[in-house]
Amino acid sequence: MGSGELRYEIAQNAYIKLVLHALKHKTAAVNGILLGRHSDRGDAVEVLDAVPLFHSHLGLLPNLEISLLLIEEYYGSKGMSIVGYFHANERYDDTELGGVARNIGDHIFRYFPQAAVLLLDNKKLEALSNGKDRSPVMQLYTRDSSKNWKLVSSDGSNRLITKEPTANVVLLDYMSSGKWQDVVDFDDHLDDISRDWLNPDLFK
Amino acid sequence: MVTKSEEDQLNRLETQVDNGGGGAWEYLCLVRKLKVRRPDKVLKHGLAILNDFKKRSALGTEEWTLCEQVAIAAMDCHSLDVAKDCIEVLRKRFPDSKRVGRLEGMLLEAKGLWAEAEKAYSNFLEDNPFDQVIHKRRAAVAKAQGNISTAIEYLNKYLDTFMADHDAWRELAEIYISLQMYKQAAFCYEELILSQPTNPLYHLAYADVLYTIGGLENLQAAKKYYASTINLTGGKNRRALFGVCLCTSAIGQLSKGRNKDDKDSPELQSLAVAALEKDYKQRAPNKLPLLTSALKSLRVSS
Repeated sequence: MGSGELRYEIAQNAYIKLVLHALKHKTAAVNGILLGRHSDRGDAVEVLDAVPLFHSHLGLLPNLEISLLLIEEYYGSKGMSIVGYFHANERYDDTELGGVARNIGDHIFRYFPQAAVLLLDNKKLEALSNGKDRSPVMQLYTRDSSKNWKLVSSDGSNRLITKEPTANVVLLDYMSSGKWQDVVDFDDHLDDISRDWLNPDLFK
Repeated sequence: MVTKSEEDQLNRLETQVDNGGGGAWEYLCLVRKLKVRRPDKVLKHGLAILNDFKKRSALGTEEWTLCEQVAIAAMDCHSLDVAKDCIEVLRKRFPDSKRVGRLEGMLLEAKGLWAEAEKAYSNFLEDNPFDQVIHKRRAAVAKAQGNISTAIEYLNKYLDTFMADHDAWRELAEIYISLQMYKQAAFCYEELILSQPTNPLYHLAYADVLYTIGGLENLQAAKKYYASTINLTGGKNRRALFGVCLCTSAIGQLSKGRNKDDKDSPELQSLAVAALEKDYKQRAPNKLPLLTSALKSLRVSS
């Protein structure tokens, strides 16, 4: 069984962290790493945490390699693996999963074959304030048998859900208070290492 | 591009103004001078001055500069009515101004009226073929519509004439990187290094691109440019220090079994590691063990 019917369940804090990161850098593409593990029953991948990576030069390797090294060191000792990748495009109406995202996804897939790639869905994000939708404002991509990243349709199946059903409500709340200012990504860390890419106090 | 101290100064002022401590005009001037993009703050504080008759008249002729600044910030924040009002005020005051014409073009862009914006800019360029800002706006219109290859074409043509425009070279490089066209990005950084050889950020970006392209020669060159970045920044640039470690490790992996033509000083690697560890010890001690084991896993292959 490949990623055929696998569900992806993303913890509220991981989810919100990624969206806030995108909101902090509205005029740039941003990306992040998903951390987690298989569920006990093996029917889902649990995304337990996320690390926001960069808001510039996403297509360059050196900083990515450093960040992956440090992330693996840290989360490995906590029993988690890198289970996926998050990407937000620079432009509002760019709904394509670009080459950079696919390549990074491929790299993660090599180590975790059920890896997911999540792409920020700007239209859904904009519609969030209508308050009705509980599904994540992201599109889910998984690798199909021909080694391509394919969009998993969100009609009907709930293959990507937030663990806590109220995640969008909390997200909206943070958005209105401008919480994104507090998100630290790897770029910020490399500029000033006293800033912690683990964002330990973000939700306190 | 701003230095850290300039950014700190700007942030201090911004916090001060946000908390009602005054200094709004000083803040707005600094934003203009540093050419940073903080549209929500500029809109908020700029508008506050413009809507206050006393504050506004105290500005004298600077009032129009502020109007322009607020118009652009408003467009960035999609407050199109505010932008329209500011532009109309400026148009009334400067009826024949090309500078106001540019703003009108930008408003068309902000409204998503791409064809109209493109037409306005083309007309402009017929009368003023050397208007750099308009040339670049055309590239921006192409990019905003997702016609990246057109944007690249426009920028390249622009740079044929205006080859000293560093911002344009940097924008072109970044577009190339986002499309994974690394060799072309490298060319842009080479131009930038040629014209501003003491700017460490260009050395750093060039090194990053060379590393990304890969291959032994590029890795060795990348290491040299990380080293020159370290030189130009007095050893303070962490990305360059990491870069040296990555290069050494990658070069080591590629040269396994070959004749190690090692004019490479191993001191550079160990100095970089020492500098990083010292930095982390001082400013992020809880991350030091993580750093040490990560660096160790890099050194294993050299």
